[in-house]
Amino acid sequence: MDEAARGRLSAWLTAAAGAPVSIESMALLSGGAVQQNWALDVSRGGAPERWVLRTDNAAVLAVSLPRATEFALLRAAHAAGVTVPEPLFCHGGPDVTGAPFFVMRRAEGVARGHVLVRRAGGSGGDAALAGALGRELARIHTIRPPRDDLAMLPPPPGDPAADFVARQRAALDAAGTPRPVLEWGLRHLERGALPPGDVALNHNDFRTGNYMVHEGRVTAVLDWEFAAWGDPHADLGWLCAPCWRFGGAHEVGGIGPRPALYAAYEEASGRRVDAGRVRWWELAATVRWAVIAADQAARHLSGREDNLELALTGHIVPELEMDVLRMTGVLDA
Amino acid sequence: MLERPDADGLLSTAREVLLRDLLPHLPEAKRFEARMVANAMAIARRDMAADEAPVLARLRGLLDMQDADSDALLRRLAEEIRAGGRDPGRAGSAEAAEALAALTRLRCAVSNPRALGGSR
Repeated sequence: MDEAARGRLSAWLTAAAGAPVSIESMALLSGGAVQQNWALDVSRGGAPERWVLRTDNAAVLAVSLPRATEFALLRAAHAAGVTVPEPLFCHGGPDVTGAPFFVMRRAEGVARGHVLVRRAGGSGGDAALAGALGRELARIHTIRPPRDDLAMLPPPPGDPAADFVARQRAALDAAGTPRPVLEWGLRHLERGALPPGDVALNHNDFRTGNYMVHEGRVTAVLDWEFAAWGDPHADLGWLCAPCWRFGGAHEVGGIGPRPALYAAYEEASGRRVDAGRVRWWELAATVRWAVIAADQAARHLSGREDNLELALTGHIVPELEMDVLRMTGVLDA
Repeated sequence: MLERPDADGLLSTAREVLLRDLLPHLPEAKRFEARMVANAMAIARRDMAADEAPVLARLRGLLDMQDADSDALLRRLAEEIRAGGRDPGRAGSAEAAEALAALTRLRCAVSNPRALGGSR
């Protein structure tokens, strides 16, 4: 971000905050493939505050939500008691920094999957952390449709399982590369389709790597750009899917045991976890991540974004296909 | 006659230089990228060594499409699976599952052999 953009930004923040805001420092944090996150150290009315500015990256996924929607989700989650960075200000236009952005408080902690999995250790792993994640999910799932403040989300699916299978097939068709193993997984899901049940807000990317931990506590649930109405078991399945264990053995995101997650979730939500539904959504998660990974590689292959990280993401697809074959009983687990 | 070392030999030597000589001198912020470059070179080497022929022969037999190329084979198999024609219990389902396993092992052996695990 150049000097002129920084100048416009501090003027905009001053108006939004209702107090003089000066930017003391601004540094790009390690961001994802979709967004850029900037650490913003400011003085607001003379007092130091630590913020994060979140804005779009060049390679924006078609399935990710605009910044203003993510901001509304963050506000809803914050109000529901989910541990999220407090959302502060949002700007939907490109005129200030070149792209829409929002600003939230900066949480302390570590998000990196490999680090958290290593810290969780061997034997049983970190049952307390698995339980804390269950309570976060239970709070997210108290957000139920209809919600005027989330009216920009697509309407709740009448049949989330059938809707999922149809969407993934449409994505595969649009991408144009035949992927028989992913079709195998989708057909398996279709044959074992779940009857429609509860519908709640799903975070849809709730996994190790997307929450921060500081001194053993969850300090922030991050990355809300895929949130949508759906079967709450989908979030549990995404968190438990083998592809998000970062080489760890523990079934909950590589960090802890499944019973601790389920027990804490049930206690906080007052609803039973249907283990069969979670398994269905775990396979669904594996297929979904494979479709997203293939889409990221396609962005590189198209020539629109000549990017090594996107290119290598395509090479994650085969190991996800191994998982699909294990989960459908073709290969030994 | 082409000159040696060949593509595999060049990639192997270049990757060694990157990891052994260059990586330790890079600032922390650039090491992730350097490791990605090394990973890409390793995948490229395995990709050159991979032999698709046995898997393609198997798919041609399974689908009875003797002259079809890889894309046509995968497209037909994907369509049949989606339509339910290879569901468990139907004729040719076990053969389809075995072909998928062989195909996926080959792909995984190129992209990330560590993920092959104990599945054989």
